[in-house]
Amino acid sequence: MKAGPSRTNRPDNTAFTQQRLPAWQPILSAGIVIPGFTLIGLAFIGVGVALFVTSQKITDLEVRGKRDTHAVLFFFQGPVFFYYGLTSYYQNFRTYGVSKDGYQLSGDTYYFNVRAWYSCAPYQYDSNNNPIVPCGSIANSMFSDTFQLYQVVNGMKKQVPLDGKGIAWWTDYNIKYSNPALVNGSFANAFSGTVKPVNWSKPVYELDPTDQANNGFLNQNFLVWMRQAALPKFQKLYGRIAEGDYAQGLPAGNYTLLINYSYPVISFGGTKKVVLSNVSWMGGKNQFLGIAYLVIGSLCIVMAMVMLIIYAKYKFTDDDEDM
Amino acid sequence: NDCYSQSYPQLYEPGQRSLYFSKGAFIKCALHSCYSSLVLFFVPYAAVRDSVSTDGHDIADHQSFALLTQTCLTVTVCVQLGLDLSYWTAVNHLFVWGSLGMYFLVTFTMQSDGLHRLYASSFPFVGTAHNSLDQVTVWLTVLLTAVLCVLPVVVHRFLFMQLNPTINDKAQPPPPRRRARIRRSSTRCSGYAFSYAYGYGDLVTSKRFLRRPVPLRSAGSTPAGRSAAFRPAGRSAGYSPSGQ
Repeated sequence: MKAGPSRTNRPDNTAFTQQRLPAWQPILSAGIVIPGFTLIGLAFIGVGVALFVTSQKITDLEVRGKRDTHAVLFFFQGPVFFYYGLTSYYQNFRTYGVSKDGYQLSGDTYYFNVRAWYSCAPYQYDSNNNPIVPCGSIANSMFSDTFQLYQVVNGMKKQVPLDGKGIAWWTDYNIKYSNPALVNGSFANAFSGTVKPVNWSKPVYELDPTDQANNGFLNQNFLVWMRQAALPKFQKLYGRIAEGDYAQGLPAGNYTLLINYSYPVISFGGTKKVVLSNVSWMGGKNQFLGIAYLVIGSLCIVMAMVMLIIYAKYKFTDDDEDM
Repeated sequence: NDCYSQSYPQLYEPGQRSLYFSKGAFIKCALHSCYSSLVLFFVPYAAVRDSVSTDGHDIADHQSFALLTQTCLTVTVCVQLGLDLSYWTAVNHLFVWGSLGMYFLVTFTMQSDGLHRLYASSFPFVGTAHNSLDQVTVWLTVLLTAVLCVLPVVVHRFLFMQLNPTINDKAQPPPPRRRARIRRSSTRCSGYAFSYAYGYGDLVTSKRFLRRPVPLRSAGSTPAGRSAAFRPAGRSAGYSPSGQ
């Protein structure tokens, strides 16, 4: 035999390089799988019961159509949240979803008239070639109905205050969106040279003239609308009922809802609704999770029994054959 | 490993017969993928539809829904991977848990405030992870999806192991009944060590290694480490160069 090659290329003789690391080998034996399935099944049934019971306790009142007076039959535990809902509204449509300019909305005036995001078209410039701020389809289609809720007490209408503060995400309000700086002490001047979106009745710097913290791009309703929904049937937060006499909740009685209709939905076959709901540790009312957990838990236990039967049958058959 | 390859040559049959790369195997894989895809979309869809977060805010928005589906997918893939790994060494632990950790790390980084302030248009998902991953329903949905995708595979494998064991299953060592957990002793058998080194030609061509029966399990022994003179480390399938 000739002399072998030099030993510099030989891999190290360690556990790692020679694939001799200590290893744990999971084996699907009956002693692991069947008790495991039973445990998972029981745990899931427990969680499912908790979810289902909690979901049943959450009250959810939907108001559709143009009837103004509605009866609340029982005490609606607060804090109550007021949502408006839309159907057949595809905010998740791709071209619609990219139709906004993140730089504009973070207050960078460079992007107001010099360079707006091309995907904002056709809502980028108006018919006179003036730049639209905020540009894009999402901003242009902002929901414009307003709501007022009254409780009918002794024939008199008593307003239920709707708190519109903090309805958007904290990160949206504080980080994602910012207003441009005041120009010569005026907010409107910061938007000089631009026009309002085509479908809006007021320009963006007049969304809430009484409260500068809720004006411009930081308007809470605007922020809630810009957070595009994933599904064609969605609801967006409009206000919170947590003040004054209604801090604990809505007492049973008759209520009147005054809606200022200005948002057209019939042209695309959509519908509008109003939802009043309270929340719990699992969020809003959702039957699915509770029922799903219960079903899967029961299935796990059934499968554990099936596997036990099959294992016992084949084990004994094998033992007989060995004998 | 190499010990089994020598003692159970029938293990090579499925490869020669293309048992695991046939149309049937492909169709089974495609069906499993279809089922998993449907579960991975529709379970998050049903869980957040018409729902809101614990403080009344939006949870069914586009970004939160995307993040939820993505998290369900990553966790399910990691769990399925854990099931498929035959041997869990330290390296496997590092990469599987590391993948999961990297996913959350990258998600939180990309959705952080700092990156948004630098490039507003490129990082529009700011705040999504922070707002949706603290919801109990989101984690319950992730758990439900993972279980729904992986448990049928477990049932299928277990039943087929009982009813129709393949050669791979039969060649598994029986689990040690005396121990409380299933823990294999470390496999440090390295018959390779002597087969690739020179100096063993005489041993290999002699009929010596046909005479000895191969032990099923070799007890772990510490490797010698690097040494000037080459010696096979560990017990090389029960043989030593001195021919005992």
